[in-house]
Amino acid sequence: MTAPAKTSALPADYFCVFGLPRKLWIEMNALEQKFLQLSWKLHPDNFVNASEEERELSLKRSSELNDAYRTLKDPVARVEYLLAIEGERKEGEKKQQAPPELLEEVFELNESMDELREAKAAGLELDGMKERLHAAETNFGQKLAEVDADMRQTAKDWDNAVDAGAEEASRKQIMARLNDHLNRRSYIRNLVLNVAKELEEA
Amino acid sequence: MAYSDKVVEHYNNPRNVGSLPKEDPNVGTGLVGAPECGDVMKLQMKINPDTRVIEEAKFKTFGCGSAIASSSLATEWVKGKTVDEALAIKNTDIVRELALPPVKIHCSVLAEDAIKAAIGDWKKKHNIEVPASEKPSH
Repeated sequence: MTAPAKTSALPADYFCVFGLPRKLWIEMNALEQKFLQLSWKLHPDNFVNASEEERELSLKRSSELNDAYRTLKDPVARVEYLLAIEGERKEGEKKQQAPPELLEEVFELNESMDELREAKAAGLELDGMKERLHAAETNFGQKLAEVDADMRQTAKDWDNAVDAGAEEASRKQIMARLNDHLNRRSYIRNLVLNVAKELEEA
Repeated sequence: MAYSDKVVEHYNNPRNVGSLPKEDPNVGTGLVGAPECGDVMKLQMKINPDTRVIEEAKFKTFGCGSAIASSSLATEWVKGKTVDEALAIKNTDIVRELALPPVKIHCSVLAEDAIKAAIGDWKKKHNIEVPASEKPSH
């Protein structure tokens, strides 16, 4: 039997859970190792003789650890989380604004998707349709890759700014760029999913 | 979560879907979006410059059922109203009419913003100043 383990208070944020700085580049192997190590420490077997309070806290920490791992493992969720804890992306409090050019572009892309859908529903030449859907898929896929590349670049800028101890203003500017990438990404992601759905049914 | 009957009704029979000529000086176009959920909403109105009455309204929305219902309802409501009456429509009115759940309130905000943006566009074409209170503020 192991001695009742001690659980300390919950860490302030997911980066702290893993003892990481608030940076966007994370070494995946190290993260996984740390996750396994921490999970093992919080395993219920270690709390057999612990008080009910301790057991409850360990369960809570365990679920937080899982959330933290899932969030930090995914590069997009990681950026979203960073902006949330930095107070730059508050859900519900302030609606995200999209630049007009992006809205125009997304609207047009959606419209062309709609045309394909309608033509399909009307049973128009399905061969040409499939080609057009595949072309749309390639196009949206490229756009998604572009936005992901932009995101990686800006993430590097963020890490450099953290390392250099950059001032608030330039950090905020980088976060605004990250926010724009996230917004653009969520639109394009929708288009990618829609075209995939149409192709599945085609 | 289930949609209210009114949302389903508007979703199945959306009113005033379509578009108006964007270049027409009497047409105001509002294009707004909610990046979090990937919704885009276009609302257009044809406004009589003398009476300032909204004679026609069209919309096209790519988004969830609530976003479609909110914009469909918005076009129904603004038709026949004056510009000032249409600007008085609040997103909470849409929430109430459609019985939107809290997670879908942003769809009604989008519709209110679209009304403001469309009227703002029309005013700009007619060199009418748009006060800050009438700008899509959310």
